[in-house]
Amino acid sequence: MANWGMVIDLDKCVGCQACSLACKAENNVPHGSPYEQKRHQDIYWHKVIAATEGEYPSVNTQIIPMPCMHCEHPPCVNVCPSKATFKRGDGIVIQNFRRCLGCRYCIVACPYGARNFNFKDQENEEYQRPDLPPDLASEWGGLKFGAEIGPWPYPHRTRGVVEKCTYCFHRIDEALLRIENGEDIEIGVDVVPACVEACPTEARYFGDLDDPNSGVSKLLASRTYIKLREEMATSPKTIYLPR
Amino acid sequence: MQLSFAPVKGTSRSYKILVGVLAALVTAGVTAYAIAYLYGFRLWGINNSVTWGQLITVDFFFIGLSAGSLVVSSLVYVLGQERYKPIGRIAVFMGLLLMMGAMLTVLTDLGRAEKCFRLFLYFYLSNMKSMFAVNGIFYAGYILLLGTYLVAALSGSKLTKFIAPVAVLWAVLVHMGTGAIVGFIETRGVMYSPLKPVEFISAAFASGLALVMALSYVTLKFSKRPLNKDMYVSLGKFLAVLIIILMVLVLADKLTHFYPPKRDAVMFLIAGPWAWIFWLQVVLGYFIPLGILFNPWLRKKVGWIIAACVICVIGILFERAAIIFPGLSQPLPYYPGEIAGIWGARGSFPIMIAETLQTVGIVALLGLLYVLGLKFMELLPASEGEHAQGEPAEQAAPAAEGGHT
Repeated sequence: MANWGMVIDLDKCVGCQACSLACKAENNVPHGSPYEQKRHQDIYWHKVIAATEGEYPSVNTQIIPMPCMHCEHPPCVNVCPSKATFKRGDGIVIQNFRRCLGCRYCIVACPYGARNFNFKDQENEEYQRPDLPPDLASEWGGLKFGAEIGPWPYPHRTRGVVEKCTYCFHRIDEALLRIENGEDIEIGVDVVPACVEACPTEARYFGDLDDPNSGVSKLLASRTYIKLREEMATSPKTIYLPR
Repeated sequence: MQLSFAPVKGTSRSYKILVGVLAALVTAGVTAYAIAYLYGFRLWGINNSVTWGQLITVDFFFIGLSAGSLVVSSLVYVLGQERYKPIGRIAVFMGLLLMMGAMLTVLTDLGRAEKCFRLFLYFYLSNMKSMFAVNGIFYAGYILLLGTYLVAALSGSKLTKFIAPVAVLWAVLVHMGTGAIVGFIETRGVMYSPLKPVEFISAAFASGLALVMALSYVTLKFSKRPLNKDMYVSLGKFLAVLIIILMVLVLADKLTHFYPPKRDAVMFLIAGPWAWIFWLQVVLGYFIPLGILFNPWLRKKVGWIIAACVICVIGILFERAAIIFPGLSQPLPYYPGEIAGIWGARGSFPIMIAETLQTVGIVALLGLLYVLGLKFMELLPASEGEHAQGEPAEQAAPAAEGGHT
């Protein structure tokens, strides 16, 4: 089975936040009002931080896009009492909302601040995509069906659970089905997470870390790379190529 | 000496007013929770940085008090110290009440409180790597044990002799497990410490003993029951020892974290923006009570000893807060350097009405159950003559409890 990972070239990143926007659009993450942003109660699956070191003449600001690190040894999975957070076989750390109790222990344990709590039931207009497209919602006798299903796993949210980045697992799973059906596509080339797709400078790469011929493996072999907060021994699978 | 127990009458005006006030506070708390549940926890002070708030602080506090109360009862029922018998039953009752309060805080703090049964239903099938799930088993067993213990103690059954040691050991387990919930989290420098479980149980013993002393004194005094001053003086000495142990543990913990060059976390705790919580813990929890309990004149005066107890309990509440708030609001160092904007900002925690009302409501509920328990159970030692007046009674009892939280 594949071991999905993401490589982000910090040399190419210009800090435009297109990845954050694409993530919000793809996963239907609510906007968050200015008040919520001030209170830090809004949801971000992807963030871009700017870390500054040094004083004026010799100052350096490093811009770092941060999705979930999808750690090899995720602390959030360790602490989740109800097994709501788990690591899939392909290494993606994912959240099952139906099991989640909302104890927020995982937010406490995550070294990367990748997790967010749903503080309220979102209004319709707070979503990027208030409704599913018409071809996905079937009507029968005046009742709408299919509002809960479809290839987008996050149509509407429920309050009181924790959520996080999924590496756009729905795209990957769909592509795997298509490959099974004989289509000639490659995950990491033709099918990538939304943030990778949206990056205007092509600073992000997605692929199988276990496959020595994948683009990400070749990049990692050719350049020096860093992982965030390695002292936590989480072995993140979101890997950075420094400037 | 044969000791008999009797309930209070609870017919006086002040008793009824007290019950009414507490019931009103409970109603307010229930309403606040219902609203917060329907509107989401955005009504609380918690956010994605400081993700545990008042309720978890109070939860740790209550669990500690519960374990401590049990230890007091163990003096009577395990070690056979008959002179402490007058407060033995109250101690067991308080242990049970506080544990129920702790469960109420932690379960209503869940984003999806209606799924709380999962923690208990799935038993060992929950994620056993999670200290929270392990504690779910501890807590459930503890409440069952305490219920049995209380029934046995009330009926004066011989069974107490068997249940008491088990319950006390289980209490130690419960509280060390609770300490492990925060102590095992490496991400949060303020919390992460192998000493946390031990520190927790030690703080639990000190605060639990102090609360039992204060509350039983106030209750006995106002219900005009026989008061054995020597008992409080000797318990005061015991309390002083417990506080010293706690102080040494906290000192060892902080010093160990201060020694290596990577001392951001402990510096954030003792000199950061939340430092006042830590220093209130040290001054109220340790210095002032020890000052009173080691003063050759004051340590013989029951009033002062009780004052020391109340101050100590408040100090330990700050000890719990000093784990949660500095621990969670310290910004995570994603990358070396100063991180701009909200991702590098210190987490804030506004005091919100809904959360505060709920916390007060839960404390009031415990006070209410305590006051009702005095009336319907034989918890207090009977007075010399007839069954006590029980009149202006308990006025101060929940007041004292309210004061602690």
